[in-house]
Amino acid sequence: MTITVPRRRWPSATAWVVTAVVVVVHVLAWQATEFSPAALVAGWEGMADFLSESLPPDLSVLGKSLEAAVITLYIGLLGTTFSIPFALVLALLASRATTSAVWGRQAARAVLSFLRSVPDVVFALIFVTAVGLGPFAGVLALVFHNTGVMGKLWAEAMDESDRGPREALRVAGASGPQIALHAVLPTVLPSLAGLLLYRLDVNVRSSLVLGLVGAGGIGFLINQSIKLFRFDEMVTHILVVLVLVVVVDQASAFVRKRLGA
Amino acid sequence: MLAVSGLRKSFGGRTVLDGFDLRVEAGEFVALLGPNGSGKSTALRCAAGLETPDGGSVEVRGSAAMVFQKIHLVGRRTALDNVCSGALGRLPLHRSLFYPQDVREEAVRCLDRVGLADRALERCARLSGGQQQRVAIARALCQRANVILADEPVSALDPQAAVQVMELLVDLAAEGMAVVAVLHQPELAQRYAHRIVEMRTAVAV
Repeated sequence: MTITVPRRRWPSATAWVVTAVVVVVHVLAWQATEFSPAALVAGWEGMADFLSESLPPDLSVLGKSLEAAVITLYIGLLGTTFSIPFALVLALLASRATTSAVWGRQAARAVLSFLRSVPDVVFALIFVTAVGLGPFAGVLALVFHNTGVMGKLWAEAMDESDRGPREALRVAGASGPQIALHAVLPTVLPSLAGLLLYRLDVNVRSSLVLGLVGAGGIGFLINQSIKLFRFDEMVTHILVVLVLVVVVDQASAFVRKRLGA
Repeated sequence: MLAVSGLRKSFGGRTVLDGFDLRVEAGEFVALLGPNGSGKSTALRCAAGLETPDGGSVEVRGSAAMVFQKIHLVGRRTALDNVCSGALGRLPLHRSLFYPQDVREEAVRCLDRVGLADRALERCARLSGGQQQRVAIARALCQRANVILADEPVSALDPQAAVQVMELLVDLAAEGMAVVAVLHQPELAQRYAHRIVEMRTAVAV
């Protein structure tokens, strides 16, 4: 018996075109970003100076640093918590599982997209003009941006929920809000909680960046030490940030694992 | 109790129901038999209001509840909560955030009727398939339904649990409900149903 071995196939014309386009885009990006390993090699002394000035870290600012890290944590916490009601309402309006009116879903999705597409740093700059420099502006910025992101994630989780219990309650004559309350939310609660913890983790890291634009916390201290050329202080702050990020990340991962989400 | 006449329904050009009639009186247990695609489930879903028929009429005296092959309880909530949810249709929104005491009492009586009052506070996901299906029937009772539309209620159950659920449905019919069940096992239909309706595949148009 003879077995015909399929001939090796050459990549199709489409594959060649796609490859060519990808390569061209990378070349353009290389030029536009002034990507230059030579500049990096030539300027190594600058980096070496920077590092030698920053080591050893100045641990005398550790107390101040820890205090500011707690503020950063608080900004992330409040920014996440206060976005819960808004994200929940918008998610319920945006999900197929809970809203049947197409225009209603699209309106909610438009609001979520807007909040998501404006970076939290931009929101922070806007709120700084209203409430001045400080952590409160950071909290407001996170509330707005996180409502957009978390609302979308929550709406998707609701979309994926089992439609069976919803149908059963619809036959029983339950209204839309009652179905959302007694079929959709109880089913998706673990996923929503998991996504919430994930966002808390992200928001604590974002609030660090918000500090750089004046929203207080340890990001503000890092910015200050750079401006004063106190790189040894900056390294202390960065080490504290490292610990903060790892702790929040591990804690949120632990709880999410327990939730099974 | 249930009168369906001239029901027509097609999905994307495929005719599933073409003039389906069914009358079920109080106290009657009717089994729907037929091959896959003969429109058994679609007929029930139209009668329950989950699908809008293209033509024909559905009349229900009182209210109809549906029981599903996949049971469709909220697994994370207790049996009691799931049974209470049958009452949502007669509760205003502001009273449905937490189930009122009178609804909880009624739900316990419904659970007792299906023999599961002692499991009221157990999460549904922890109950066996047969127990879950009985909780779903208790939910229909808590809805105060006069008609039970059961779509393959025992197909996913082991034989012993299937017999329990079938006997429960027969008893409910004997107490005055109208029960329609889509079944896949003709022997169950012959053993329990008062009347068997055979459905054939609708002629494609």
